[in-house]
Amino acid sequence: MTDTQAGLRGWTAARKGVWSRLRFTSLRLRLVVVFGLVALTAAVSASGIAYWLNREAVLTRTQDAVLRDFQQEMQNRAGLLPARPTQDELQHTAGQMANSSQRFSVLLVAQDADGKPLYSSSGALDGFTLADVPKSLRTAVNDKQRVDSSDKAAYHLYWQRIVEDDKPYLIAGTKVVGGGTTGYMLKSLEQEAKDLNSLAWSLGIATGLALIGSALLAQAAATTVLKPVHRLGVAARRLGEGRLDTRLRVSGTDELADLSRTFNNAAEALEKRVADMAGRDEASRRFVADMSHELRTPLTAITAVTEVLEEELEAGTGSVDPMIEPAVRLVVSETRRLNDLVENLMEVTRFDAGTARLVLDDVDVADLITACIDARAWLDAVELDAERGIMARLDPRRLDVILANLIGNALKHGGSPVRVTVREEDDAVVIDVRDHGPGIPEDVLPHVFDRFYKASASRPRSEGSGLGLSIALENAHIHGGEITAANSPDGGAVFTLRLPRDEPADKKED
Amino acid sequence: MCGVPSLLLIEDDDAIRTALELSLTRQGHRVATAATGEDGLKLLREQRPDLIVLDVMLPGIDGFEVCRRIRRTDQLPIILLTARSDDIDVVVGLESGADDYVVKPVQGRVLDARIRAVLRRGERESNDAATFGSLVIDRAAMTVTKNGEDLQLTPTELRLLLELSRRPGQALSRQQLLRLVWEHDYLGDSRLVDACVQRLRAKVEDVPSSPTLIRTVRGVGYRLDAPQ
Repeated sequence: MTDTQAGLRGWTAARKGVWSRLRFTSLRLRLVVVFGLVALTAAVSASGIAYWLNREAVLTRTQDAVLRDFQQEMQNRAGLLPARPTQDELQHTAGQMANSSQRFSVLLVAQDADGKPLYSSSGALDGFTLADVPKSLRTAVNDKQRVDSSDKAAYHLYWQRIVEDDKPYLIAGTKVVGGGTTGYMLKSLEQEAKDLNSLAWSLGIATGLALIGSALLAQAAATTVLKPVHRLGVAARRLGEGRLDTRLRVSGTDELADLSRTFNNAAEALEKRVADMAGRDEASRRFVADMSHELRTPLTAITAVTEVLEEELEAGTGSVDPMIEPAVRLVVSETRRLNDLVENLMEVTRFDAGTARLVLDDVDVADLITACIDARAWLDAVELDAERGIMARLDPRRLDVILANLIGNALKHGGSPVRVTVREEDDAVVIDVRDHGPGIPEDVLPHVFDRFYKASASRPRSEGSGLGLSIALENAHIHGGEITAANSPDGGAVFTLRLPRDEPADKKED
Repeated sequence: MCGVPSLLLIEDDDAIRTALELSLTRQGHRVATAATGEDGLKLLREQRPDLIVLDVMLPGIDGFEVCRRIRRTDQLPIILLTARSDDIDVVVGLESGADDYVVKPVQGRVLDARIRAVLRRGERESNDAATFGSLVIDRAAMTVTKNGEDLQLTPTELRLLLELSRRPGQALSRQQLLRLVWEHDYLGDSRLVDACVQRLRAKVEDVPSSPTLIRTVRGVGYRLDAPQ
């Protein structure tokens, strides 16, 4: 693997980690949001109600006091004015009224002796003129009502709250009964508004604190829930990685503890099952291994004796009855087959048991292939394209097994000529074995290395044991190499063997 | 090593013993057989065979132990017969002093070829001598002396030394040595060479762990050097 790939993989892993954390916190996020919403609703409605109640109470109290005072002043002072006061009288009265405890501004309107309207204002708020008084209020104040039992006065006190230049004011007006003086007062509600504002701020801050508190609570709640969930996730991952002895510590009696307990039970059951299966697998492998060992002893005796029989036949001394001869030949050839089969079975069981070992040596690959072909009398059927001098450190017996199986297979199914090509690629030796047969059907291709795989049930019994290519592949794997099967675009099957040139462990040197 | 070679076959399984005796006799050997290691050691003292074919799995003392006991006094060739080609068996067998091994089910012809190859190793072929430091190889007498003392070498060890001494300073690969000494085909087990070199070093080197005569050539094989 190159550095770039490693970096890329590391980056992907990091990104994955971030993702999983984000995903993990989404539950946390949801809890925080829900807690927050609940806290917000509660705080906002509580403080909203509190604010409105307060506001009404404060405003009403101020307003009532001001209006009572204003009414009092109107009766006590404006009521004493003559029907046609002079400007000075009016101004004096307005000044007196404005000096009351409630500090409102006063505007008195009357008519002088000539019927000309007189205006007189006084108080903290300068420039209080009739223009500041809303028209509706003026109309209401000047509206003379019919006096009856339920309504004893012809004029009433009217008030209104207005906002001018973003400042709240209370404005009220009334007319002196029997007199011509109309009085208006203007009272700034800024102080009250300020008080209410600071109350609103306090309530807002309290709401904010409640929100923060709820977020912290949600975090705490989420942690108590998510920690066991996280532990469960870690345990599940470990279980998935094959560490079947993973167990969770169960504490408490809540649903998560139940879940942990269920996990532990599942893991235990899984471990037991896997152990059972491994045991059964191991037993069947040992059976095959023992079986092939046991077969060897009688086979050794039979092989030795059949050879004697074979030599007797070949010597042609006539000591074998011609009628019996085919029987003897059959015994000889089938004994050889049985030998090969048992030999291959032994090889497979060694691979399965992991007891197969490499016996490494430095060999010339071309020489070894030539020797392999020569030993099996395939020189006429195999074209070898290999330069001498390609040295590799490998197990010559195992390479011979691989080559014999690949070339033998090519000759059997593809037909001659079989072409064997050797080339060097970086740190690997690549050997191609190509035949000129019909190629391998696409549906068979993925199974060519399977043990005892037959392309179809009706296929004629092959001479091989059905283990050859599987053994070849195992032998390549034990070298850290690989065999791939494919069909050549020019027709015919191509098996490609790739072996590393240097086996990392160099145990043989002293 | 003249006339009909006599063999001692130690094998506990009746069928194999009978079949191999039959096969080997047909190949022209004189065969004595024993069913246990103890019987085999007794027969060895009585009959002085030229070579022993020894099964590994024996009741009582096993093949490895028999091999070790023989090596304490005798340098005659031993071929191991192993039912398992498990590597540990081969390594232990070679360490206990066997010259060669064959894996069951063995073909009579293969066994015969191995027997003859081992026996040929004791044959002399030239009449000169070579000296490597304190080591004197007398090819005429087929003896090796170190500091004037006779070394007890098995025919295989002797043949390995002879082949190496014939090309002093030249590295021979394990496969070459397998062909020259063991007469194996191209698939000979290189551990045969390694095990034999270890045994030979133990006998000829001053300090076997840091050899000065038989040197390992990394990536190639072995070389016999005359000390400077």
